[in-house]
Amino acid sequence: MSAKKSTLPDPAAVQPLSVDMRQLTRVGARPGFLDYLVELWDYRHFVFFDARARVLNGTRRDRLGSAWLVLNPVFNGLTYYLIFGLLLHTSKGIKDFIGYLVIGIFLFQFSSGSITSGARAIHNGKRVIQAFNFPRATLVIGANIRELLTGVPMLLAMLIIVAVLPPEEKISWMWILIVPVVGLLFVFNLGVGLILARIVSKVHDITHLLPFAIRAWMYGSAVFYSFDRFITHPGVLAAVKINPLFVALDTARSAILYEQLPSWRSWTILAIWAFGALAVGMAFFWKAEESYGRG
Amino acid sequence: MVEDKRAVELDDVPCVVVDQVAMRYRVASTEIPRAATPDVRFLRKLKRSSNLVTVYALNELSLVVERGESVGIIGRNGSGKSTLMKIVSGQAKPSTGAVYASSTPVMLGVNAALVPELSGDQNIVLGCLAMGLSRAEIDQKFGQILELSGLERSIHLPMRSYSSGMSSRLRFAIAASLDPEILLIDEALNTGDAQFSDRSRQRMDELRSQAGCVFLVSHSLSTITEMCTRVLWLDKGDLIMDGVARDAVGAYRDFTKHLSKGNNISATKIKDEARALLVATEVQDRRNSRGKAGV
Repeated sequence: MSAKKSTLPDPAAVQPLSVDMRQLTRVGARPGFLDYLVELWDYRHFVFFDARARVLNGTRRDRLGSAWLVLNPVFNGLTYYLIFGLLLHTSKGIKDFIGYLVIGIFLFQFSSGSITSGARAIHNGKRVIQAFNFPRATLVIGANIRELLTGVPMLLAMLIIVAVLPPEEKISWMWILIVPVVGLLFVFNLGVGLILARIVSKVHDITHLLPFAIRAWMYGSAVFYSFDRFITHPGVLAAVKINPLFVALDTARSAILYEQLPSWRSWTILAIWAFGALAVGMAFFWKAEESYGRG
Repeated sequence: MVEDKRAVELDDVPCVVVDQVAMRYRVASTEIPRAATPDVRFLRKLKRSSNLVTVYALNELSLVVERGESVGIIGRNGSGKSTLMKIVSGQAKPSTGAVYASSTPVMLGVNAALVPELSGDQNIVLGCLAMGLSRAEIDQKFGQILELSGLERSIHLPMRSYSSGMSSRLRFAIAASLDPEILLIDEALNTGDAQFSDRSRQRMDELRSQAGCVFLVSHSLSTITEMCTRVLWLDKGDLIMDGVARDAVGAYRDFTKHLSKGNNISATKIKDEARALLVATEVQDRRNSRGKAGV
């Protein structure tokens, strides 16, 4: 017995207790992958409520309210039109440039917005994560659904602009094909968001790199010019044309502007990207399920 | 001094098994080693990792808590009480070891963080959904939560406009809407005015009478003796005493009395004597007849 701090006596004895552990589960344990998916489905109401409530509240502080959901991409499109259409003439050789540009900008904004907010969902939701036990992927899914909900009025505005601004496009049944394009893009964004969300939750510095990566991706996706004019090497052109965002833009443009049924090849490439990203993202995210929101 | 005893077999399935749990963090310290010259300090700032210190929040600890027990946890500030609670509730993952429970433990505290942009009623729905309640159950409980929170018409305002007392009342009311089998109460709950603390005490008593087992952290020793059948005394991350409420609280009271008089040596002596009488627990999984519990 001394007064020194560090010398705490050992316990008098160790009593082994034999316990039937079969009916006990480990607290905070990560469920199996399939159970995890089922659990996500059980939490669908949480996801939708969270997404809807935040969309409705997102623009409440602005005087124009929800109008900003549409105005924002419209202004964006105008800016790019002024710079790339009128000043730099990247429009050369593109039929119906305004439609081309508008579809490019709107779909790109949807995709980049979804990926960015998906990537930040875990970091931003840290407080909710620490307070409640629920499958963490719901936060990333919620962020993506939120972007989809804000994206719908945006896409409707896009179609109206394409139909009204000269040269007016005829509204054909093929416009309905924008729905599967957006759907596949949504799945792709979700997959990428899940991958990034885990990385960002470990290394927060990545969020600073994200805008640059997305900017580079935009320039590589023919948002406001056509590849055919700038890239002559056939190998590089083929590589660039596998880019999922480019394929999505190309598919949407051929259906809406040029009234051509998109090829099966485009659909296949897009679907492989989308479901591949989702499968990889879900598995990758699930692996670290226990570690989110700690530290 | 440590001798092995024969294993005692527990017939009933326990509520909570804490198996060799320990918690340590690595954190950056601002303390500058005395020898450092200014340019070394600069390098240190750049590297930042060089001044990391390991904090031992909780040293290895095993416990078995059976149905019907209510366990009080006492100790000075920084003794690891809240850390232990966080680990048992699944909010924090222990550095080593694991906690097993017969159902999901629910922590009743005021730190259940919610979404500040959403209104109070939206936060109620969101919080309940995050705890896994269905919409029908929420509709049924909504009135009760609203009443317990005492927010009345402020419930429609965004939570960021709430005072800290108001939001902690709402958090408590949401967390208290579950009827958990394993209940953890962190008695930082004494926020709020007299009216609310009466109401919350009443609800806590109700929950305690229904729960299978209860963990209670409190600085009020009379509350602990009154409510608990078993008391754990923690000090600086070590378990000092594990026994009947009256004995443990008595020893702890002696200990703090000596400390506040400045009698550090005799206080340490009390602590060491208590520790030397401790019978520590070792958990054995009955599935594999000998050896420790499955990891």
